[in-house]
Amino acid sequence: MRMLVSFKKDEIVRHLGLLDLQRTMQRALRRSGLPVAYSNGFNPHIIMNFASALSAGIPGDAEVLDVALSGETTEEACLSAMNRVLPPVLAVSRVRLVDDRFPKASAALRTARYRVTLRGGDARRIADDVPAFLGETEIMALRKSKKQEAMVNIRPMIHELTAAYDEQTDTAVLDARVSFVEQATLKPDLMLTALCAHAQAALPNCQVRRTQLYGEADGRPVPLMDL
Amino acid sequence: MLKEKIDGLLDRVQKPARYMGGEMNAVLKDADRVAIRYAFAFPDVYEVGMSHLGSRILYDIINKRGDALCERVFMPWVDMADLMREEGVPLFSLETRSPVRGFDMLGITLQYEMSYTNILEILDLSGIPLHSEDRTWDDPIVIAGGPCAFNPEPLHHFIDAFSIGDGEISTLETIDVVKACKAEGVSRRECLRRLSRLRGVYVPSLYRADYNEDGTLRSFEPIEEGVPRTVVKNMVADLDKAEYPESVIVPFMEIVHDRINIEVLRGCTRGCRFCQAGMIYRPVRERSMARLMELADKLVAETGYEEITLSSLSTGDYSCLPQLAHALMERFAQQRVALSLPSLRLDSNLKETLEETQKVRKSSLTYAMEAGTQRLRDVINKGITEENLVESLTDAFAGGWSSVKLYFMFGLPTETYEDLDGIADLASKVVRLYFKTPRHLRAKGLRVHCSASCFVPKPFTPFQWEPQDTIEQFEEKQRHLCRIMRIKGVAFNWHEPQVSFLEAVFARGDRRTADALEEAWRLGCRFDGWSDQFKFDKWMEAFEKTGVDPAFYANRRREKDELLPWAFIDAGVTQQYLWRERERAMQAQPTPDCRKGCQGCGLKRFEGACDGR
Repeated sequence: MRMLVSFKKDEIVRHLGLLDLQRTMQRALRRSGLPVAYSNGFNPHIIMNFASALSAGIPGDAEVLDVALSGETTEEACLSAMNRVLPPVLAVSRVRLVDDRFPKASAALRTARYRVTLRGGDARRIADDVPAFLGETEIMALRKSKKQEAMVNIRPMIHELTAAYDEQTDTAVLDARVSFVEQATLKPDLMLTALCAHAQAALPNCQVRRTQLYGEADGRPVPLMDL
Repeated sequence: MLKEKIDGLLDRVQKPARYMGGEMNAVLKDADRVAIRYAFAFPDVYEVGMSHLGSRILYDIINKRGDALCERVFMPWVDMADLMREEGVPLFSLETRSPVRGFDMLGITLQYEMSYTNILEILDLSGIPLHSEDRTWDDPIVIAGGPCAFNPEPLHHFIDAFSIGDGEISTLETIDVVKACKAEGVSRRECLRRLSRLRGVYVPSLYRADYNEDGTLRSFEPIEEGVPRTVVKNMVADLDKAEYPESVIVPFMEIVHDRINIEVLRGCTRGCRFCQAGMIYRPVRERSMARLMELADKLVAETGYEEITLSSLSTGDYSCLPQLAHALMERFAQQRVALSLPSLRLDSNLKETLEETQKVRKSSLTYAMEAGTQRLRDVINKGITEENLVESLTDAFAGGWSSVKLYFMFGLPTETYEDLDGIADLASKVVRLYFKTPRHLRAKGLRVHCSASCFVPKPFTPFQWEPQDTIEQFEEKQRHLCRIMRIKGVAFNWHEPQVSFLEAVFARGDRRTADALEEAWRLGCRFDGWSDQFKFDKWMEAFEKTGVDPAFYANRRREKDELLPWAFIDAGVTQQYLWRERERAMQAQPTPDCRKGCQGCGLKRFEGACDGR
């Protein structure tokens, strides 16, 4: 059996990197008393994976941790145990127990939703440009990875993009659902860079937040926890 | 507003996790429901400060009180400190991001002389006046404790009160006094006066120092009636009855000692003559095995850490170490908690258990030999012989260990170049011993790391009267060591003598060195213990400007009858005992561990100190 844990990464701890979060979750699981499964070897560790690594600096509302279990337990027991052992800034909202045959959260992941808040500067110009941006059939952007840099067409990786501009606060809020699969992952900063270039605008003060992770069922996006 | 401003800064610094807070087991209390808000500052970065056991003990003790809360403060790294000044953000606590200046008390731990400029930086970043006499009730009462408080004089101008000895007692007592003073509405001065009457508390502004023409101390006296002439250190007699945290904060970021730390005993009676900790933390007090097992249980459950370390000055001396180690390994094997043990005491029986239950990684073994020849080890009373080393390593090499660390000091009293050559001899012997181990038993890849640090004479040690080698002497010895330490399989490293020189100045400094310290800080010195931040030229400029001669403090031999700046402190060990030990040192006469017979160090004067011995 495995458990899928949906937790938040609060604004305050947004700077935690993947390694910090991994260590924190390992220790929390050890404290939890839940029947977690360990790897073999000199340094046994709990077998667990995040659905997707969330970059340091970005908070998340519904991150997913996939943990291997070695015994029976219930979703209620897991939920209360996890919230007992995690600080409130990493609170767990839901736990789902799944069969071992259930695809790994990281393998089921297809898209991710981000909310980007742009304040002042060219915020309005950027928001206004979104329809034209989406009207393009090809948007070339320079994607860098550890191994290579390549110009790729990111337009197919943008599944949804909406913008709302509030005059009073001079704030634009973008809501985007982008691809998150091997070979075709679109990080929000790359999309923003491309959007700014398209709008001929400078990127204003911006805050990025990941709000949901999706798999796919019948060709439609479904939150990982509901697959 | 301040909280948002701080949060904004975190996007602009390295390692923002240092300033984040919000960790598991951090204590959040309602400020409106307590009488005393205590800020506890460690004058170094988060990952260093969070590794310090004493701070965690005091954090726990204060937060256990219903009428007080304690929040943590660390020294922001230089990028953050500069940014805070630029943006007008005062130093803040981690728990609630509240300004330090608004707390009722500010405790600062003094672990190392080279953190002194950071203390000034902490006060300044907090907006607290640097000098005690300029503070009002709008500022916290600034209290400092820890090993360096045994010679508090270089900090006399900046600290309101020092706590000398075990912190568990005076931390609570000083809170009681400050709480009562605030409730009664007495003056700050009166509060300090009342603090000075507590055992183990020294209020520097209530004393006066006068000097002879040759610069030595002539007299040191209280300036008011009722202020004690001698400040007697605090001592916890029974560790089992002392509070110990049963839950500790688990940091998000990796810290220096990222594991459960259980203090098995306090104090050390081996009597190494260079070692200040071995003198000021006397007598030896052990925690019972039952209590240690209970603590281990609770801490594993509360933290989820995967490793326990047994900590003390000399864990190998714990009277039932093998039993404790077996019990801990047995207890936690299922939960996959590893136990780390001191190198020298790994007897073969224990090693077998370790191998069975833990499949331990063969990490490196560490031996603090301190000196290269038996003669010099007798002088410093380091009770470890070449035979001990050979015996332990013969076992270890055959058991599959192949990495060894050897620690030495140089510049020790009576040292000759023969003693330095002894360091190379020992290192070569270790290499030969490895190659003598049958090939099928030994692990591949021998690594011998030798490190040599510069000796710093410390107060309340038998060497407190001794001159330190000059920087030139150190450098000459270093060159010699580098030449003779070119041994295949041996890596040699050493420490910069400039830092050790400053350490020696402030370890035995008097009140006048405070001016040089302040000037150095004004010239931009901070994080002096970090080699990339250390600015020796600024320090020398500060000494010049303030007319303080550092050699007077570091390189001068003190006479037996000289009034020492720290003599007003009763640290347990008497000056007579220390001088007797110095005389024995000069004759290379070792002194046995006092557990094998009392050596009359002075601790028997303390109630409950040496019970059952």
